[in-house]
Amino acid sequence: MSNDHSKITYTIDHSTASQKVYDVVIVGSGISGSILANEIAKEGFSVLIVEAGPGKDLSLTGYEKLLNTFYTAVTKDNNAPYKSNPNAPMPRSPKVQKARLGHPNTDNYMVQNGPFVTDTSYSRVVGGTTMHWEAKTPRMLPEDFKMRTLFDKGLDWPITYRELQPYYRMAEKEIGVSGNVESQEFKHLDPITKEFSETSLYADNYVYPMHQMPPSYLDKCVAKDINGTTLELDGDKKELKVRSFPQGRNGIPNVEYRKYNNGEVYRPVAAVSSHQAEIGERCQGNNNCTPICPVQAKYDARKTLAKALRTGRVDLLPQTIASKVVVNPENGRVTSIEYKNYKDVNSSEYESGVLKGKIFILAANAIENARLMLASGLKSTSNLMGKNFMDHPYLLCWGLLPENTGTFRGTICTSGISDIRSGHFRRKQAAFAVDIHNDGWGWATGSPYTNLLDIVDNKNKYGTALRKELVSQVSRQLLLAFMVEMLPETSNKISVNPQYRDRLGNMRPVVSFHVPDYSMEGVAYGRELSKQLFQRLGAEDYSIYDPLDYGYVNYNGSGYAIRGGNHIAGTHIMGTSERNSVVNFKQRSWDYDNLFLIGAGSMPTIGTSNTTLTMAAMCFLSAEEVIKDLKKITSKTEIASPIYNSISG
Amino acid sequence: MDINLIEFQFFLKLSEKLTAFTSFQLQGTGVAEAYYSTVKNVVGVTIFQELIDTFNKIQTDSDDETSLDKEIRHRILSNSKLGPVARNIIKMWFVGTWYQLPNYWLEKYGVSNSDSTFVVSENAYKEGLLWPTIGAHPMGAKAPGYGTWEDPPKIPTV
Repeated sequence: MSNDHSKITYTIDHSTASQKVYDVVIVGSGISGSILANEIAKEGFSVLIVEAGPGKDLSLTGYEKLLNTFYTAVTKDNNAPYKSNPNAPMPRSPKVQKARLGHPNTDNYMVQNGPFVTDTSYSRVVGGTTMHWEAKTPRMLPEDFKMRTLFDKGLDWPITYRELQPYYRMAEKEIGVSGNVESQEFKHLDPITKEFSETSLYADNYVYPMHQMPPSYLDKCVAKDINGTTLELDGDKKELKVRSFPQGRNGIPNVEYRKYNNGEVYRPVAAVSSHQAEIGERCQGNNNCTPICPVQAKYDARKTLAKALRTGRVDLLPQTIASKVVVNPENGRVTSIEYKNYKDVNSSEYESGVLKGKIFILAANAIENARLMLASGLKSTSNLMGKNFMDHPYLLCWGLLPENTGTFRGTICTSGISDIRSGHFRRKQAAFAVDIHNDGWGWATGSPYTNLLDIVDNKNKYGTALRKELVSQVSRQLLLAFMVEMLPETSNKISVNPQYRDRLGNMRPVVSFHVPDYSMEGVAYGRELSKQLFQRLGAEDYSIYDPLDYGYVNYNGSGYAIRGGNHIAGTHIMGTSERNSVVNFKQRSWDYDNLFLIGAGSMPTIGTSNTTLTMAAMCFLSAEEVIKDLKKITSKTEIASPIYNSISG
Repeated sequence: MDINLIEFQFFLKLSEKLTAFTSFQLQGTGVAEAYYSTVKNVVGVTIFQELIDTFNKIQTDSDDETSLDKEIRHRILSNSKLGPVARNIIKMWFVGTWYQLPNYWLEKYGVSNSDSTFVVSENAYKEGLLWPTIGAHPMGAKAPGYGTWEDPPKIPTV
């Protein structure tokens, strides 16, 4: 690896930033904030990005520090590369504890009212939660946008799959998706005919920018026994097939993609650095997508952020918490954002001030957006701010295969089962996608560390016997992760309570959450299916759900340990009016005309797709709207605001 | 540190027995000295010396592999003072982590405040012997290259 000493430094100090009036002030430097900043700045407008986490530079050296923090972390959870920061705390899954009846769980950053305690997490660092995402990028299905119409469940989106399709393409280009369109062409419902559709999800012989990640040896072994499994579900006949997942990580460019890229072959985006970096062009199989890819083959939002900063029209203000959105009560427009800028992660010292702009965009994530709006004490006509909180509940099922298939090789997940993402059964139970994990039982049991401890401490083995037992316990591991759909319910919500504050005095998010029966019905079905699949594979089933597990849920006489999906969504849902939603389909606040609430929080349903790709697609749509607004404002004032002159191009 | 120190050489010999990796392989990790220092620092010189001496005597007393195995179990692994230390040495070699010793051990024999669970160093993590044992690489380091995961694993036989 090469080291760079020069840095991309586009950070601004808060006293300078607070002197300016930006065209747009964005809260959050994750994928949403970065895409919006880049799109808006390309049109010549000025942008300030406010980021709660520290971030002096975007250099390779800085990235290597994150890696080293990860290597030496005893607990390698999603946020292991990031130092604990009491000024902008983030949820850490190892800290989650079982709920005690009637007592909110207040130890972790997120106060949990229960009854379900979630270990879902997000990152408050430059690049946001893409700094720990796995980078799986399936699109949502056409039927996911019409849940109420088709299944009498959940909500309809105010926009259709077809309308979002061009934006999906933009998102797949921005992220740099490796995938195979054919592998995603499983049977899905046509929202109009309500029957299984023969038309492609993708249209125009579309291909992804890069070829699919090669399926793992494990995928191929599992496919041999699972392909051809037939089942009947609520009248729909299904035949299962192991299919590759599209992923936001660099592979081999597909020359066919030229048609969708102005005649050019897609060029993978390498590591974020101020100079030519010879890493990051292609996945090397580090098996560490979550939390951090050592070679930056995985997309993270800093890749987009770096482009935005290079326009010369974007300032990044790190170590700054947006603490209040201020509205002029006379015209209902946002006038400024109050902030707290801390000097150092290790000190509670901070200075406060206000940031001014013409348009304000909250892109902090579903929990932090809602937290900030609620902490600002602003009215919400629909009374839905913070409500309809969603996240994919995961059920993990794990077993030992009869032969060594090799674990901890390849990306975390290359393939899975998608056939049960679609169908008429969705009027009764949740759909799901199944991941075949290339990292063994790690997620479920803490393998291979727990295996080592067990073999040494309990099996009393050392030397050769220890090594043989390690192979026997680890190299045959199979983990199936069922990512189950969850629907919006107003009782699942984020709120704030002045009683619970962080070190800087900002109110912490309070989560009230239960896993709806609809999802649990899907969970229970998934568990039964896993038993069938293990039978077909001749695998020994070791799945066990401990009633003492913090995520334990009893449903119809059986217990399941549910894991959070880190796909937080739905706290400021989009809809057709200010009475049924918080934002419109362009993610503009119904209540505050120059305020956009951006991200998965706007999603009325999340289907069985990891949320980031859809969120990114929505950003491109919203960017068009923001730019339209800005052009209107600029043509009215004739001359651009004076800050254009002070920012070099 | 002088790697010719006789005590370090005995530490390597003991490690060979406990891990079934050769001294050559153990030294090749580049973290052998760090492990030697870690054990000594955490459990103290006296107990460390006792462990090394005991192993040394066992080696002299044992005629073959079977009796060596028996003596390691009888005099080290089952010993309430030395057993937990030996098991910690195994774990450290395999994943680069020093695990905090059991409470009863700390109460009876503990001398150092530095006994907590920690990763010895970045390199210790990357050089964990568990990964080559199972034909893999430490997650996030020593990546085998694009597409290598398509082929069956190559698991070394022992």
